Amino acid sequence: MSALEIQNIRKSYGALETLKGIDISLESGEFLVLLGSSGCGKSTLLNIIAGLAEATSGDIHIGGRSVLGVHPKDRDIAMVFQSYALYPNLSIHRNIGFGLEMRKVPKVERDKAVREAARLLQIEPLLERKPSQLSGGQRQRVAIGRALVRKPEVFLFDEPLSNLDAKLRMEMRTELKRLHQMLKTTVVYVTHDQIEAMTLATRIAVMRDGRIEQLGTPDEIYNHPATLYVATFVGAPPMNLLNATAHQGSLRIDGTSITLPMPPTKAQIKQEQQLVIGIRPETLYLDESGQLEAVCEVAELTGPELIVTAQAGSQRLMACLPPRTAIAEGEMLKLGFDAGSLQLFDRATGLRCA
Amino acid sequence: MSGTSMTTRAWLLMLPLLVVMIAVIGWPLVDTVGLSFTDAKLVGTGGNFVGIDNYAKMLANSNFQRTLITTAWFAIISVAAEMVLGVLAALLLNQNFKGRGVLRALMILPWALPTVVNATLWRLIYNPEYGALNALLTQLGLLNAYHSWLGEPGTALTALIVADCWKNFPLVALIALAALQAVPRDITAASLVDGAGPFKRFRFVILPYLVGPLMVALVLRTIEAFKVFDIIWVMTRGGPANSTRTLSILVYQEAFSFQRAGSGASLALIVTLLVTVLAAAYATLVRKTAGSAA
Amino acid sequence: MERQSPLFTCFLYVCAVLLAVVILAPIAWLFIMSISPAADLAAKPLRWWPQTADFSRYKVLLSTLENSEGAAFTSSLRNSIEVAGMATIAAIALAIPAGWAVSRTPSVGWSLSLVIATYMLPPVALAVPLYMGLAHLGMLNNVFGLALVYLTILAPFTTWLMKSGFDSIPKEIEAAAMIDGAGLFQTLKIITLPLAMPVMATSALFAFLLAWDEFFYALLFTSDQRAKTLTVAIADLAGGRVSDYGLIATAGVLAALPPVLIGLVMQRALISGLTNGGVKG
Repeated sequence: MSALEIQNIRKSYGALETLKGIDISLESGEFLVLLGSSGCGKSTLLNIIAGLAEATSGDIHIGGRSVLGVHPKDRDIAMVFQSYALYPNLSIHRNIGFGLEMRKVPKVERDKAVREAARLLQIEPLLERKPSQLSGGQRQRVAIGRALVRKPEVFLFDEPLSNLDAKLRMEMRTELKRLHQMLKTTVVYVTHDQIEAMTLATRIAVMRDGRIEQLGTPDEIYNHPATLYVATFVGAPPMNLLNATAHQGSLRIDGTSITLPMPPTKAQIKQEQQLVIGIRPETLYLDESGQLEAVCEVAELTGPELIVTAQAGSQRLMACLPPRTAIAEGEMLKLGFDAGSLQLFDRATGLRCA
Repeated sequence: MSGTSMTTRAWLLMLPLLVVMIAVIGWPLVDTVGLSFTDAKLVGTGGNFVGIDNYAKMLANSNFQRTLITTAWFAIISVAAEMVLGVLAALLLNQNFKGRGVLRALMILPWALPTVVNATLWRLIYNPEYGALNALLTQLGLLNAYHSWLGEPGTALTALIVADCWKNFPLVALIALAALQAVPRDITAASLVDGAGPFKRFRFVILPYLVGPLMVALVLRTIEAFKVFDIIWVMTRGGPANSTRTLSILVYQEAFSFQRAGSGASLALIVTLLVTVLAAAYATLVRKTAGSAA
Repeated sequence: MERQSPLFTCFLYVCAVLLAVVILAPIAWLFIMSISPAADLAAKPLRWWPQTADFSRYKVLLSTLENSEGAAFTSSLRNSIEVAGMATIAAIALAIPAGWAVSRTPSVGWSLSLVIATYMLPPVALAVPLYMGLAHLGMLNNVFGLALVYLTILAPFTTWLMKSGFDSIPKEIEAAAMIDGAGLFQTLKIITLPLAMPVMATSALFAFLLAWDEFFYALLFTSDQRAKTLTVAIADLAGGRVSDYGLIATAGVLAALPPVLIGLVMQRALISGLTNGGVKG
């Protein structure tokens, strides 16, 4: 029995279709990240799971039973909002225990649960304060605590780290991972940040325009992206995309005389088929016998790596090289790569040539 | 929570307010409209249907036309004066000087004064025998003899406008001040660096931020000016020689003094229509300027 | 931010003093009139400051002796408080659910716009039917009848202000409460309304000021001490054959005290409430 099943969920606002048929099946303990840029429908989907919005068609099953038409409070879910949505006029203690209070859980039991959650999140000394007296990171922990005490079937997170500064975001990310490993909860997590998705998820659903572009593990998403969109969405610097044409069993990069060997693929590649080659910057290295030739434009030292932007013909590509590499502007580079890391996409459809 | 059940719940919550408004305003309004098509008198039985007779007679009536001009004059002059004085006062209060806070707090006083008290106060000030204005002007040597400010058709309306402006310009000032303080500091700084003098700064940097709230104040004050009754009634009752008779006073006279309820109703609706049209015109202006400003 | 030249600073202070005089002079004069002996006020040239301040008129007006001028004044004072108080409480009571409904469900907002549009009706437009309606119900010359009419003047404002107030309370908090299991009533009682208290206070004070100030309907619908409000009482005094202008001034000062006090205390809140609602509206 899966913890959460999303069956062909569609949502339309009048003539505008925001969700075009979403199907996902989650096992207990999984951490699903809905990843996409704004407007892709991920928050809408989350609200539909929570019961804060109604789907136009389709069904949701939580813990094996349909929750269609069921009030949010009876769906056995808990939600952490982007703005934390703490009750400003109540103490932290009451904030965390509010869900239990509304369900008429006896005070003694409630107190115990609140203290346990507070201890877990290291916010015990804050229990008697009000939200306005807490920092952003502390408020976030309280919001998580409020969800934890309910011990729901599914946790829902709506971009919880967006309001934190970069440093705090990193810390909380690790914290969330630690909690998930400890408590083994089922989570649906919405974000536009691909690093959060990669580090936290057991599976990622990359969404675009109301559809799932790809549903897979972080490894699958990163190393075997199903579409051009997924390929460029995840990874920073993004995957290099080079227009190429299939020619006599090899790949000729458009606008250059560079020819690369065709990678092993089950797909039928037609002669002169227009393709896109995908190579991740970190898989490129300086190689005297490398076939990829490009002229260095800019070299940026970030500390741990040297990011080189180069031009091959009229196309640009980036490479992540070791920090101490000596490269001069205008220098012709010879780059090599591991054949297995080369991705092929059909230019017209944007889909991967499997 | 489905969309439709949320809407139903919203309507249920609106119900008490809507019921009261419909019962106490909606119903009489419909009644007034009905009355306006009859020749009903205030007391006695209801009147006979006369079609748009009341409206036609009223619009052609020279009294009405003169009153309309009086009201328009009152509205235009007093609102214009309030706007100008209000903005000037706001510019002053936006500067840095000692006692600025106290002065700002004092600004609320004229607005807080009840309209009737304000009217009574100025009536006493304008009193032809003992009034403070006469005393001040003669003691300063600016006037030879005591003048009857409210008693002479030439000065009565102006005296009224002064009283009305005094009460209302501080409100405009406070609204304008709030707008001025919302002007982003970095734009003002940039204009200083660019070398703009105070007048250019006012025109290009400050005015766009003022326009929105000022437009709103303009609409509100103009509607008020066209509806004006209280201050006129207490100070002059519409005299002398009907020189201060505004539209609302005319309606009162028509309906309650002459007891011509039907005719009074038609006039009341003409005034309402006028005010609505004005407000709608302003509203479109506000939207257009809000779009192009800032 | 700007360096001020001394000439400019001097100019500023002159203007500031001028503004202060313009604002304060009439008000100060009202007060001075109320404490000047009648002879001083009738003197020519006018005495600007009484030799001996005479506060006796305040005692006269505030007395509750039968058939004195004070009796009329104090009963009108009491009526004003009753009418304004009742109308304000009712206006807030209506405004809370309606304002919340419009804030959370914008699709019903048009009905509020209609309600607010009634502001454009000149009171004279409704005077006749309201008079006849109140007469029919036996509510003429009655504080409850007047309060009911005032309710329709106050309710659009209070609802608009409450709606703006609820707008600034994030919907997510109520969504969180809903997920936590709180029903609508519980959410409002424990979370939303306590947060809306400041706006409620501002709305109430603003409504009270409006009601206190009203004259036209009070003039038409009241005839004696049982319901006459302060504004009518003062107009009576001013229009009557009162030879002591100081008494009229005293009545004015007393009538002005509550709104002036409220205005001074509530200044910031009132203006921000008006501008916020206004700019968006």
